[in-house]
Amino acid sequence: MTDLLTNLALGFTVAANPYNIGFCLLGALVGTLVGVLPGIGTVATVAMLLPITFGLPPVGALIMLAGIYYGAQYGGSTTSILVNIPGEATSVVTCLDGHQMARQGRAGAALSISAIGSFFAGCVSTVLVAALGAPLTSLALLFGPAEYFSLMVLGLIFAVVLAKGSALKSIAMVLTGLLLSMVGSDLETGAGRMTFDVAELSDGIGFTNVAMGLFGFAEIIRNLEMSAESREIVNAKISGLMPTRQDLIDSSGAIARGTILGSILGILPGGGAVVASFAAYTFEKRISKNPERFGRGAIQGVAAPEAANNAAAQTSFIPLLTLGIPPNAVMALMVGAMTIHGIVPGPQVMVKQPELFWGMIASMWLGNLMLVIINLPMVGIWVSLLRVPYRLLYPSIIVFCCIGIYSINNSPTDVVIAAIFGLFGYWLVKHDFEPAPLVLAFVLGPLMEENLRRAMLIARGDPTVFATRPISAGLLAVALFLLALAALPMIRKRREEVFVESEN
Amino acid sequence: MAYNNRLILKSQEGKCPRQNPPHGGDGFQFKVRGPRDFYGGLALMALAIIAILASSDLPGQSGFAFGPGTAPRMFAGLLAVTGGIIALTGLLMDGPQVDAFAIKGPAYVLVAILAFALLIRGVDLRMIRIPFTIPSFGLVLSTFAAFIISIMGSSEMKWVESLIAAVAMTAFCVGLFVYLLQLPFQLWPAF
Repeated sequence: MTDLLTNLALGFTVAANPYNIGFCLLGALVGTLVGVLPGIGTVATVAMLLPITFGLPPVGALIMLAGIYYGAQYGGSTTSILVNIPGEATSVVTCLDGHQMARQGRAGAALSISAIGSFFAGCVSTVLVAALGAPLTSLALLFGPAEYFSLMVLGLIFAVVLAKGSALKSIAMVLTGLLLSMVGSDLETGAGRMTFDVAELSDGIGFTNVAMGLFGFAEIIRNLEMSAESREIVNAKISGLMPTRQDLIDSSGAIARGTILGSILGILPGGGAVVASFAAYTFEKRISKNPERFGRGAIQGVAAPEAANNAAAQTSFIPLLTLGIPPNAVMALMVGAMTIHGIVPGPQVMVKQPELFWGMIASMWLGNLMLVIINLPMVGIWVSLLRVPYRLLYPSIIVFCCIGIYSINNSPTDVVIAAIFGLFGYWLVKHDFEPAPLVLAFVLGPLMEENLRRAMLIARGDPTVFATRPISAGLLAVALFLLALAALPMIRKRREEVFVESEN
Repeated sequence: MAYNNRLILKSQEGKCPRQNPPHGGDGFQFKVRGPRDFYGGLALMALAIIAILASSDLPGQSGFAFGPGTAPRMFAGLLAVTGGIIALTGLLMDGPQVDAFAIKGPAYVLVAILAFALLIRGVDLRMIRIPFTIPSFGLVLSTFAAFIISIMGSSEMKWVESLIAAVAMTAFCVGLFVYLLQLPFQLWPAF
């Protein structure tokens, strides 16, 4: 307990450094700014803003990225409530009741409850991350290459099971991502792999190029197809930002339950935040005395998923910081950022760079606080941003992405590669393939291959090592079980129902 | 046989038997039932085959150790199989059509991005045997050009508004990347 407190104190001294507060603030602001744009989800926002953090010192850059992440999530909820366009899966549920509240003239209450719920969830889960960080790090010491490999398999299977649509197609995406990650020099021998004698490919395909292409450019190309009329902004003036006493009483239970659910589900690898918000919403609806109000502007229907989603966003840092394994696409982007700053994510971060580890955890809490303080008074500005016509927004996003990609290595080739991935992403969407598992696999690829090769070498070429070491066997068994669940027709139907509900 | 096949083709939605062979009687047209899955799976198979060919020159397993070519070939093989199953599902099971691909929007966006890439630092096209060198135009002009080209992809484009927005966005990017983030960009053309 005292350890926890000293560590948190260390974290807060790092985070309270005026520069770092500034980075956190700036991150939360620009994150909201971009996240609020309709059709741009959290992953796209983080990918787009990644380059602007590269010039900063490592701690500042990661703090800013964390700020961008929360800001983007909050911005996504704002768009869901006001425009009924969820930027991504996690804010889909917020649309259901949030937009109804906005239509009833209660947009202010919905926005503030979403902020308050997120803040409360953020407070609880920050402490949870701090408390669980140390024990999980010691667990990491039990992990050899075989265990790491199996854990990553489990993470990818999670991503497959939770992805929308056919599990088979997600598996194909995972494999494509793994394959793409192998382009470039071989880690051990230095042999150029699948480079087609292109000098620029010998270093591998840059992660930011893939992410920007698949999430930035592809998203824009796809949005261009949609007509302007399909967006319906709530034009009523947002008045009465503060929720009433009754609102607070009504939503407090929902917030608490959402936080607990979200914290637990967020730790699981493979995109916990999405499941968390769905689970929290369904749970609230089930235990509610009058479930018929859900979907018609029930405040619990906003509070619970928002709290859950934020708690999960926070606790999804746990596997990244302690085991070095990104559980979802946003965390995969964080790994990319860390690698560029020369930090290898994993258990050694906590020991070797405690100021980074604890500073980031403390800044999570600060970021949440800032969202409440800045964003509530600024809702008016975000709303006016929503009125900027898309025809002016998308060229801005394109040039911003171009400059961002170029600035990383001063390489025009990177920009071209991102453009190719943009087209590829557009094609993927047309064929119902989801890019998120691909990106996750792309990041995990080199780690997976390295551990696979080491495990095989240690086991003297015996592949049964993955099944005979108990932890590894357990992880693989869970992965198989999940895959079987996804393949079972009954469960598949339920999954579809959940996503269908989200689409309407 | 031919009659039977035609009958099957007419009752697409229905519960028609699956055993019709693709190389059926004369006049038989083969019908893909789920084009979205079918072509998606085929394309991934093609990708996997390209990967297998591209990594075929790499040494594979030697002794207990994986060679540089082992893992790429392994994953490419798995991808080929998965893509094959997806294509097969698309062939045999009813599925959605492939949505039409928009041409204009993506084309302008693509050209805008390429223009940015070519202009920002200039390219010596002689390496692809074109006797021409694009000079370095610098950040300001390439940003402006990319903005204008990409906005032309929109059907609602208005010139005056677009020019103002392009100038504003260029100024914003220069301010952010060059002055605020202090990145080493060349601002103006160098020729």
